[in-house]
Amino acid sequence: MTTMTQTAPLVRAEGVTKRFGSGEKEMVALSGLNLEVQEGEFLSLLGPSGCGKSTALNIMGGLLSATEGTITFSGEPMIEPRREIGMMFQQAVMFPWRTTLDNVLLPVEIFGEKKKDYIAKADELLGMVGIKDFRDSYPWQLSGGMQQRAALCRVLLHDPKLLLLDEPFGALDEFTREAMNQELLRLQAYSGSTAVLVTHNITEAVFMSDRIAVMSARPGRLVGILEVPFDRPRTPDLQTTNDFVKLVAEARRMLELQ
Amino acid sequence: MTRTEVIAQIAIDQSEKKRKKFSPYIVTVGLLPLILLAWWLATTVTKSVSPILLPTPESVVAAFPRVLSAMGFGDQVIRTLLEIAGGFVLGATVGFFLGVLLSSSNRLRTAYLPFLSALEAIPTVILAPLIIAWIGFGVEGKILQAAIACFYAVFITTLSGLGLAEPSAINLMRSLKASRWQVMTKVRIPTALPVIFGGLQLGATTAIIGAIVSEFIGSTGGLGYLMIRYRGGYDTAAYWVIIFLFLVIGLVVYLGIWYAERKIVFWRRTEITRPDLEKQ
Amino acid sequence: MTATTTTMPPTPRASAPLVARESLWSRIRRGSLWISITTVAIMILLWEVIPQIGIVNRILFPTFSDTILGFGQLVSGGYWWEDLGKTLYAVAIAWVIGVTFGFVMGVALGISPFIRTAITPYAIAVQALPKVVLAPLLIGWLGFGSESKIALAVIICFFPVWIDTMVGLALPNANEFKLMQSLKASRWQVFTKLQLPSAVPMIMVGVKHALLLAFTGVLVAEILSASDGGLGKLAKEFASQLNMSLTYAVVLVVVIIAVALVSLADVVERRVVFWSEESRARKR
Repeated sequence: MTTMTQTAPLVRAEGVTKRFGSGEKEMVALSGLNLEVQEGEFLSLLGPSGCGKSTALNIMGGLLSATEGTITFSGEPMIEPRREIGMMFQQAVMFPWRTTLDNVLLPVEIFGEKKKDYIAKADELLGMVGIKDFRDSYPWQLSGGMQQRAALCRVLLHDPKLLLLDEPFGALDEFTREAMNQELLRLQAYSGSTAVLVTHNITEAVFMSDRIAVMSARPGRLVGILEVPFDRPRTPDLQTTNDFVKLVAEARRMLELQ
Repeated sequence: MTRTEVIAQIAIDQSEKKRKKFSPYIVTVGLLPLILLAWWLATTVTKSVSPILLPTPESVVAAFPRVLSAMGFGDQVIRTLLEIAGGFVLGATVGFFLGVLLSSSNRLRTAYLPFLSALEAIPTVILAPLIIAWIGFGVEGKILQAAIACFYAVFITTLSGLGLAEPSAINLMRSLKASRWQVMTKVRIPTALPVIFGGLQLGATTAIIGAIVSEFIGSTGGLGYLMIRYRGGYDTAAYWVIIFLFLVIGLVVYLGIWYAERKIVFWRRTEITRPDLEKQ
Repeated sequence: MTATTTTMPPTPRASAPLVARESLWSRIRRGSLWISITTVAIMILLWEVIPQIGIVNRILFPTFSDTILGFGQLVSGGYWWEDLGKTLYAVAIAWVIGVTFGFVMGVALGISPFIRTAITPYAIAVQALPKVVLAPLLIGWLGFGSESKIALAVIICFFPVWIDTMVGLALPNANEFKLMQSLKASRWQVFTKLQLPSAVPMIMVGVKHALLLAFTGVLVAEILSASDGGLGKLAKEFASQLNMSLTYAVVLVVVIIAVALVSLADVVERRVVFWSEESRARKR
């Protein structure tokens, strides 16, 4: 699973800098980021708050434009959002006036395709994350974890080439979060998408990723890249092994060095 | 201090109430005969209130069949209802679309909001003599007056409601490359609906006021015209019958919009009663 | 019944602050000021030209310059000062009485959740009744003097203060009440140190709304009963004489006063509830 292929990277960022405001109030959110995301890999952006990891993700997704530097997706420059890229946010963003199924089918409507053609697929995804019984319920009838499961189905509905995950389970409690991470890994393997996860949780980053881009704050920049060589599929037991603990310590050291 | 919090608090108050044996609504119901008794005591028994202001309850009850069966009474009712409905629909439609228009352009908003905000302060009744001079005593003038009266409430609630969508919801739509139209119809307008309904509620009340005032000042028909006639003839009991009629109209409109809100914005109530999930 | 309580509509002012107001400077920089200026210029031009070329009747729709002349005539006329004074006097008195009455009622009925719930259906009925229906009655009873104006304005304007006070006193959440309980605060202390300060921003909204409603009430009474004078009477008289430029001038005066009063109230509000804007900003 770990990608050591020599093909062209899916995403390439070169010298990406983002500044907000101007003059006295100028704030450098991200400074000279160079990063490549290989096809099929799971990469984490790990760092404290204010290190520009979310900014970097939003630039990759085309929601923000870089002040300096270039970013390409499949060799083409990113200037606006693309439909091959799916994003998940810390909030599940479930619209309360839509049933779970209709929320999952939202992208179909936006893309102007036929809803009918996707209902079977949506049901399958809902089944995979175990909330098929709630397909006709409204979001407020679901717990936070269930809402994020539905959001996961929504983002996977169109088989995006790239998943951009902005701390999607950050608002959940620890237990739900661990279960959701498992779910995410399973579905990512199933769909074969590339994934970039933003997190400030070291254990989570090590458990989930093939590679970790460690970042530092003020100004946000890349400190180094950590390879995570564990086999997949990974189980929670992995977290108690010596190698795992060593990698976590290594990541922590990189974060503290800065 | 948002409306949601107020509502949530009231909901909490009420759920606490349920645990007590003594419902406050017993007091509500109990107050009604007390009010009627006070009215009766003040008028029939002690005669301490001028009959020009408040007639006895008996005379008002006796006036009901007389007023309701008077010639052409139905036409007057229909005319007033038409004025209110026409004004409300016109004012609310213009207010809504102007709100949508200004919310979709930062430039237009900053350019025109100062003028439109001034509308908030203006007592629209001052336009009544002008409107009558322009278009006369007919139904059209009353509709225009009612529309002007209710426009602002719908406009401002639409404008501010459309700005309430969560940034993450907008980001989700942007990541899907949704068009501005899709963002408006699928996210912004549904999010704004509860707030817009607040504006409709208020706008309906002000539309009623606009129509009545305009009828008072000069009209060839309608309930306001009837009231002026009854007052001229010192038939205060008949006048009070129409006051009750307006109370009924006001309540029907109020409860009607409230019911429509419950049906259309069905997700809102449940959201409020499940604050534990709302935190997500 | 919960929902009936909850649909107590907000005043439009309550939601207005959500729309950010921009400074003059930023409006110039972003170019929107030019849109405003151009629009106003075009409106004035149309106002001037359309009656002149006879699309509409110039007597009914005086031009901009006619209106300015009428304004000059009105202001220099001298006789209108008395009318202006009468209107403002009635608005001020009615507003003070209405606010006091509304506040006292709001406290009396809002301090206990039990009474608040019991009284809510009546509050809705009072709200649903268009209170101007009482205008001809009050004029008939109190005569054409300033009493009838003030009475009508009080009846119309006390309502938002009452409701906003009542709702405002219910604003503190359960934890805030628990904190006061844990400190063994007396009922009076809970009221003065928690409920009242929490209610102030809401009450201010009602107080401002009341100002506008008092103005409306006074104008309605003046338009209906011409003899005591006031701006409403002037507008009606001029309009019935088809002296439209003077009618326009009176409307203009009313607009200026109304905008000035509300702006003044805004400034006062920002001083009094300095914390509210900040806390609102933090919540966004």
